Amino acid sequence: MDKLLASICCSLNMAVFSQKNATHFHLVSDIPEWLVFFLGHSSAEHCSLSHTFPYLTCFMDDAEAHWQTQQTTPLASGVWIETDELGNEVALEASALWVNGEAILLLQNLGEKYRKEVSHLQQLREGLLTQEKLENEVQKRTLKIKQREEEIAIKLVSLTSYRDEETGAHVKRIGLYAAAMGKALGWEAQQIDDIRIAAPMHDIGKIGIPDRILLKKGKLTENEFAIMKRHTEIGAKMLQDSNIPVLDMAADIALCHHEKWDGSGYPRGLVGEEIPESARITAIVDIYDALVHERVYKKAMCEQEALTLMESMTSSHLDPELFKVFVGLLPVMRRIRLEVNEIGDLLVSY
Amino acid sequence: MIQQKICLLGSFSVGKTSLIRRYVDSLFSEKYLTTVGVKIDKKYQKVDDKEYTLMLWDIAGEDDFTSIRTAYLRGMAGYIIVIDPTRPHSYDTALSIHDMVKSNAGALPAVFALNKADLKQSWQLDPPRYQHLHQLGHPVVETSAKQGQGVDDMFLQLLQQRENSHG
Repeated sequence: MDKLLASICCSLNMAVFSQKNATHFHLVSDIPEWLVFFLGHSSAEHCSLSHTFPYLTCFMDDAEAHWQTQQTTPLASGVWIETDELGNEVALEASALWVNGEAILLLQNLGEKYRKEVSHLQQLREGLLTQEKLENEVQKRTLKIKQREEEIAIKLVSLTSYRDEETGAHVKRIGLYAAAMGKALGWEAQQIDDIRIAAPMHDIGKIGIPDRILLKKGKLTENEFAIMKRHTEIGAKMLQDSNIPVLDMAADIALCHHEKWDGSGYPRGLVGEEIPESARITAIVDIYDALVHERVYKKAMCEQEALTLMESMTSSHLDPELFKVFVGLLPVMRRIRLEVNEIGDLLVSY
Repeated sequence: MIQQKICLLGSFSVGKTSLIRRYVDSLFSEKYLTTVGVKIDKKYQKVDDKEYTLMLWDIAGEDDFTSIRTAYLRGMAGYIIVIDPTRPHSYDTALSIHDMVKSNAGALPAVFALNKADLKQSWQLDPPRYQHLHQLGHPVVETSAKQGQGVDDMFLQLLQQRENSHG
């Protein structure tokens, strides 16, 4: 090797080896000081680099393939660390290339370049750790806020339960049925959580309906029914403009759960998909649960009878496509119906 | 003397280097120093009447800036995937590394190390994740590089799997 190349190799902290056979190499450059310790007794003319540097065992197959194709561009091994005679870490990298008909292996001590890279990566990773910690903290606090929102929502719902015939178990089931529908429809996790809390609030406006009408045993007069219908708008007014997504959804449901697919519902006579999907879902699950459970004023219907009746309501009252989804989920709905059947703690634990 | 290549894998800052340091030198440092590239340590270990030379490959943790080269896995006899349960993200990384290793190196002896057991009150590994980890069919060992807990056991369990599979 001429003096110029030898000087370049020296300033790059590099040793140049040429391959003698599958396992042995011949050092063709001057031996850099840092390499003396690692080569030890090995002869510079006949050294087994994989034995000296076990890391190279994972590189030699790739290097061999590279030499076979006589590629002149270097193939890098990736960095590995060795410990020198003073206990200091030395970062090395090998490169395989084909030069003038010879398989060449360059071995470089990365020195300062490596230390700079480590320092850079150290900063980036410490940044990532801080970011992970913050995200974790935000997640924990968000969960707490959600639990509080849920608690407040359930307390709100329980207010109406005091005044009408609905049971706590009924409102809880409505939320769970609606959440199962949202999941089947591919909703985002956040929306599913929201409808689980929002759907039970659909009748919250009944709090503004006088007892003589709300609790009347017989048929309502036309005037009384007009007042009764106002529970949708009262509920929406109570819940809207909060800037809290779950309450916004609850407001939509409260306002629109008596709208009908064919536009014959109230309060606004919305048609088809003009009715928010959350309200269309709530209408289906509310009717199902009301039909299959006993109330003081009616007996429970068997499920098949209820489904037949609901089927007849599709395209006039209920969204036919959503009803199909509901029917597909019957095993889930039955499980909810059977497992949530007592008034108890309304807080759903997840 | 049986020589075995063991790789330590996992997300960054889960304690791979610290576990090796504890196992090989019985030392621990609180300071986090990131690993770049690969560092290989050697440890002699006797199990029953067999003597092993373990070549411990400490492979830089996976993150957004670096990923594990599959070439590192060549000739590996087994591997340890380290998780820091105080950081749920490291659990997800562990599972994706496990899948990557299985598809590149096949079924090999493996151990999952739940490190930082000295900070157990801050662990955030929920029961479904914990259960899923156990169902993967490899030992799950709780370790603390700081206190030395479970470190020898983790390597021993790996070697025992190797023994069992070789009869």
